[in-house]
Amino acid sequence: MTTTQSAPETAADGHNEHALQIQDVRFAYGGVQALAGCTFDVARGQVTGLIGPNGAGKSTLIEIISGGMRQQSGRVLFEGEDVTTMGRTRVARKGIIRTFQLSRQLERRPVLENVLLGAPDQPGERPLRAIFSGGWQQHEEELRRRARELLEWVGLTHLEDSPANALSGGQRRLLDIARALIAEPKLLLLDEPTAGVYPALTRLIADRVRELPSMGVTVLLVAHNMSFVARACEDVVVMAAGQVLTRGSLESVRANREVVTAYLGG
Amino acid sequence: MFFFFLDLLALGCINAILVLGLNLEYGYAGILNFTYYTFAAIGAYVTAVTTMGKPPPYLGNESYILQWTLPWPVGLLLGGVAAMILGLIMVFVAVRRLRSDYLAIVSISVGLIVWEIVTNDVHLFNGSNGVFGVPPITGSLPISEAGYTAVIFAVSFACLAFFWWVARRIFRSPFGRVLRAVREDEILAASYGKSVFGAQLWIVLIGSFMAGVAGGLLIDYVSAFNPAGFLPVETFVLLAALIIGGSGNFNGSIIGAFLIIELLLEVSRFVPDFGRPDLVGAVRAILIGVVLIVVLRYRPGGLMPESGIRLYRKKKGEAKQPEPAKEAP
Amino acid sequence: MHLLFESIGFGLVTASVIALAAVGLSLQVSVTNYINFAYGDFMTFGAYVAYSVGAAGVNFFLAAAVGGAVTGLLGLAANLAVFRSFIERKARLITLLVVTLGVSLILQNAIVVIWGTGAYRYPIRMGNALHLGPFILTPGAIILILLAALLMFGLHLFLQYTRFGKAFRAVSNNNDLALASGIDVNRVVNWTWVVSGFFAGIAGVGLVLETNTLRPVVGFNELFLVFAAIIMGGIGRPYGAMLGALAIGLATEVSGMFVDSAYKSAIAFGILVAVLVLRPQGIFASRGRTD
Repeated sequence: MTTTQSAPETAADGHNEHALQIQDVRFAYGGVQALAGCTFDVARGQVTGLIGPNGAGKSTLIEIISGGMRQQSGRVLFEGEDVTTMGRTRVARKGIIRTFQLSRQLERRPVLENVLLGAPDQPGERPLRAIFSGGWQQHEEELRRRARELLEWVGLTHLEDSPANALSGGQRRLLDIARALIAEPKLLLLDEPTAGVYPALTRLIADRVRELPSMGVTVLLVAHNMSFVARACEDVVVMAAGQVLTRGSLESVRANREVVTAYLGG
Repeated sequence: MFFFFLDLLALGCINAILVLGLNLEYGYAGILNFTYYTFAAIGAYVTAVTTMGKPPPYLGNESYILQWTLPWPVGLLLGGVAAMILGLIMVFVAVRRLRSDYLAIVSISVGLIVWEIVTNDVHLFNGSNGVFGVPPITGSLPISEAGYTAVIFAVSFACLAFFWWVARRIFRSPFGRVLRAVREDEILAASYGKSVFGAQLWIVLIGSFMAGVAGGLLIDYVSAFNPAGFLPVETFVLLAALIIGGSGNFNGSIIGAFLIIELLLEVSRFVPDFGRPDLVGAVRAILIGVVLIVVLRYRPGGLMPESGIRLYRKKKGEAKQPEPAKEAP
Repeated sequence: MHLLFESIGFGLVTASVIALAAVGLSLQVSVTNYINFAYGDFMTFGAYVAYSVGAAGVNFFLAAAVGGAVTGLLGLAANLAVFRSFIERKARLITLLVVTLGVSLILQNAIVVIWGTGAYRYPIRMGNALHLGPFILTPGAIILILLAALLMFGLHLFLQYTRFGKAFRAVSNNNDLALASGIDVNRVVNWTWVVSGFFAGIAGVGLVLETNTLRPVVGFNELFLVFAAIIMGGIGRPYGAMLGALAIGLATEVSGMFVDSAYKSAIAFGILVAVLVLRPQGIFASRGRTD
């Protein structure tokens, strides 16, 4: 059972209104059809939630969008461009940045360095420039300033010099967000950004995520925590059994009988 | 006595360059090149055949390619470049497909292949007898043995200083940051658009170049080089020096290099040979193996652990830092 | 044409030795998840032990078996004394590789200390070449091939049909699951080292029989061909390793018809490179992820 909603591909001014378009993506492994023709669009400048029972294919989809896995059929379009077969690195350079379900950090490196890693196009990253010229230092100074700003925004300033492995689970999630933002993403994929995080911190993360569209970032997030989804997302897509079941606001979707069945029926 | 120290210093500098280069590859970028010494060997051979000219007639038969007579600094450079080319080959075969075990296999294989080719094809570098009779870099200037050692020491020291500076620049730069990320978590690095392959390629090129130059310096010093110097134990000695000195710490590499050299020289003096001279080398090798395993087990960080927490200290304020977690290399 | 069959004959002998070695190594890798770089030196060790036992007057087959058995014990000792303490500390893969290389160094030089650097020969002759149809093989070579086939078949039966064999397979597929199912993983690992060492020892003896030289580096030099076989078959897949060994053995010998035999390794390397570039998971493995 699928209900898909897709607005016209281009708006009147010629710009694609949708940041991301998933078109009939399929993927199976070991006899399991993880994605069975998944289709939906993500509107630009919004926070869209992707919810559904376990095994619905949400994380698989995120993997495919971000280039970690190759789909078996279907397309992924980002701002009108086909990014289906691009690998992680290229996808990231297009402006799609993701976080991981199990937060990944450079464990022994300071929090500040972890954030700085995210920044794109750093002149000092080119080896010859790094060694023989000094031009990159200014950019680096600027970058550190920005990184510290972001750390303050997520409330991690006091841990700037601590190694990442000294952070709690929730703090690691905040670090993920800070790093993701310094990457200046156009589309941010958050994979379970509040898994294992206590409620007060969950609310903080939700508030920060809510601010992202005003910073020019489109967000697609996967979550199980409904209060988080309610607080952070404007629009919700429900997946089950590898397909899109329905979409709309969280209230309307919750009241939908099919959705309830999907969650309960398992 | 004085001469002994000069010799120690000269060899120490050359080996320090090697350990530094290997540290860039392994300690820093996480690339385990099990045949690093082969790169030095290539550098040695190419330096020799581009500066030696014709084989010296009084030392016996010798055949090798090129036989150019370029000035010795150019020879060193070409040695470095030749090693870089080998590095390029190795990278495109192995590093493209990650997995440290694949790379280990490929690097050992590359080493064995090069060894076989060099040993079997006499025209290349005189086969198993190796290249000998390399003239001193001071040319026909009359100079004592100690004097020449001092010259080599000076040149090696200069090269070491330069490479140390390069390593430091890398470490403190965003490129260094990318390398650390690639080493720790490639997927994370790639997810932020960093070219994992590009970073690794560059490091191997730089590390290979260093090995090549070091090899050139070595052959300029001892005037000869033969395939016995290719054997895996040589790379292993470097690895031991690296790990004992501190993986990922460049000062540690230098200390490790000098320590190991000193250790080797001392061991050679004091181990009785029971009438079997080949025993000394074997006992030495066993010792190195045992020491390395013990160090890895009980103090994997080496003498000087990787630093870098202080890279980002602000001028004002002293943020209290928790202890960095104990690391396994 | 004669030359082709002769080469194929040699290829079979080479392949048998490589296969024995590759199976042992592959078994160990599939259970422990890291490669023992000292494996080549295990082979050398087995060959030397067989030599000494044989030189003391013992029947050669028995001496070879003793060589295998002692190497099996060596494998066990290496695991208990060295590798296990690193595994328990969850050392990085790269650390383990360096450690195995350390063991390789120690073992190779211990062999030098015990037996010296000189070259030895086995006190046994391979016999005169026989003509079997288009093939030309010595009786010794034939025995070697048959023995290898027998041992590998025996291993296959063991893995498929005994309870212990099933435990092996469980551990190599999924360590945690095996543990949860009540399998004594440590015991399986230890026995794997024994079996792996045994195959290494026998392969070492076979290698010396085939090449007629016994020197401290013979195993290490052969290791590379063994790697080629394993990579072709897919790391950690004993059956694939057998096929890979066949391919490598045949390829290196047959290519000897066209190229100077000193470059046989280069040919094998070329194949290895091709496999790594085109199908890094091995020719016989199934499709994997992108990274």
